[in-house]
Amino acid sequence: MTEQPSPNRSGETSTGTSGAVLEMDERTARRRLSDNQPTTALGKMRRNLFYMRGRGAVEITVVYALILLLFLALFLHNSDPATGFPFWTRRNFSGTLTQTIPFYALLAIGAGILMIAGEFDLSLGASLGFAGVVFIKTLNAGYAWPLAVLAAVASSVGIALVNGVIVVATQIPSFIATLGMSFFWNGAALYVNGLSPAIIAEPNSTMTNIMAGDHGWFRSQLIWMIVIGFVAWWFLHRTKWGNHIYATGGNAAAAKAVSIKPNSVRLLSFAILGLMVGLAAALLVARTTTMQPATTDARTLFAIAAAVVGGCSLTGGRGTLFGMIIGAALIGTVENGFILGRLPGFYLQLFLGVTIVIAATINKVMEGRAT
Amino acid sequence: MTTEARALVPDATTGPLLELRGITKNYGPNRVLDNVDMSVGKGEVVGLLGDNGAGKSTLVGIMSGVVPMTSGRYLWQGEELTRITRPETEKRGMETIFQDSALVPTMTITRNIFMGREITNAFGLMRMKQMDTITNEILDSVVSIEGIQSARQLVGSLSGGQAQAVAIARAVHFKRSLLILDEPTSALAVRATEALLNYLIQLKAEGVSSVLVTHNLHQAVKVCDRHIVLNHGRKILDVRREQTDVEELTAAVVEGAEGVRRYREGRPLA
Repeated sequence: MTEQPSPNRSGETSTGTSGAVLEMDERTARRRLSDNQPTTALGKMRRNLFYMRGRGAVEITVVYALILLLFLALFLHNSDPATGFPFWTRRNFSGTLTQTIPFYALLAIGAGILMIAGEFDLSLGASLGFAGVVFIKTLNAGYAWPLAVLAAVASSVGIALVNGVIVVATQIPSFIATLGMSFFWNGAALYVNGLSPAIIAEPNSTMTNIMAGDHGWFRSQLIWMIVIGFVAWWFLHRTKWGNHIYATGGNAAAAKAVSIKPNSVRLLSFAILGLMVGLAAALLVARTTTMQPATTDARTLFAIAAAVVGGCSLTGGRGTLFGMIIGAALIGTVENGFILGRLPGFYLQLFLGVTIVIAATINKVMEGRAT
Repeated sequence: MTTEARALVPDATTGPLLELRGITKNYGPNRVLDNVDMSVGKGEVVGLLGDNGAGKSTLVGIMSGVVPMTSGRYLWQGEELTRITRPETEKRGMETIFQDSALVPTMTITRNIFMGREITNAFGLMRMKQMDTITNEILDSVVSIEGIQSARQLVGSLSGGQAQAVAIARAVHFKRSLLILDEPTSALAVRATEALLNYLIQLKAEGVSSVLVTHNLHQAVKVCDRHIVLNHGRKILDVRREQTDVEELTAAVVEGAEGVRRYREGRPLA
């Protein structure tokens, strides 16, 4: 083997992170990864963007930006509330967008993180109704509103954990297990509450302000979404537990081989879904002050659709938190646009369906090109 | 000298690292492993050979703690383990590199390498920069990385050989005492295979033992100190490298104990 002066070989110079040096490739000068990192801010940005490609967030953000541009164009064309498209108005932002999008986003975060772990919870909507009823009952029983929020969260986390234990213990696909449980939790909400809607007897103004207060162009829910979204991002992308969630969903056998316990990770993901559903229920009820049990089933599919639009893979292991929020924002914005355009309800369903399928297709194509 | 007698040749090393005695494994009525003894000495490369269905993968599963055995004894450095689970074997420094399932394709190289062993601060936050830097160093120094662009690449975008290289780099970085490589070269290009085999020899010098499960007898002969041949769940050959050759191993793998006997009658060993 020819002796080649190569003081940069990390085997000799680095402080022994790797043990021995492999005596090969001496003939060709190897490009070293350590020397190959971008140093300028622009280079780093380009690299980051390159490696975000196909992971769920970038593409859907572009699609969302295009939709926003379209709506903005329609608004500039005719912004009259009666005949035009009053999209970029204070009334629309505060009255609709910043209320629905955070609600969808919380549900999408819960459903999305669970999807990354490779599981579903189709009882999300039922759990939402149950948690809403618990929230109202606790308030009406005279407890302080933070306690009511805690109670709502506790009930939905409990529901999610029961679902999780069933899935983990029986090995039934979570799709089936939670489909069955969704009927159960709907029934349970009706059993606890009765058929008539639950109503907050005396809405607390502090609570309403903190949870759904009007701040001009936006509502408090938006702040909650940003705060919760950041914490969830930090958890999912920057902690080891987040890493274990990706590992479990991506390849449970490989995770097991490095002593990650896939079942514990699945239970953790179910609990996170429960947490998000409980918070979403509290935000929703604080605004509407009522909850009719067993009418929230449709939210399940909205949440899963938002997560899928945001780049979460149905087979697990793939998805980003930013993508989930953008997915929720996209669905909320399209819904809003159709109402503003005074189109009949079935058009909304039609277009929403097409949007979801197109977004999922784009994600699928980009997934294959991911680096 | 018969096959059975030669199987009893004691180990030259001082006390084996891993010793399995009388391992039997039944899947329902099927006996896939029948009273198999095997040991791996410190710094020894053991070739585990056999045809498809010979029981190699089951034995690997038992060694690494993911498959429970029906009966038998499991000794690690002379100490008998009663509960053999994957966390137990991992704690003792055993790393299994499977054909394809060792990594998560939807995660980056860095995250795969540190999976389950993340470098974190007190709050559980990962030190991403540090992990990226170490990953680059590992990939630069350990295995051939031709074609790998960045530690941030998804493992799913690597070729089979590159992914295999990452899995091996991970095992090496965490200074495992025993590597079990299940068909590690099946997806590798010629040069990468060469590099890997050289690497096993180097690791041996550092006292790292390995079990190499392979179909490729030429590779086995090159690097293994000892060869164990399984046939229909039974050990039919356990020989040191200087006592055998490719032809005998081929006969053992293809024709079983009968083949070994025929081979030795044709050309008795000195």
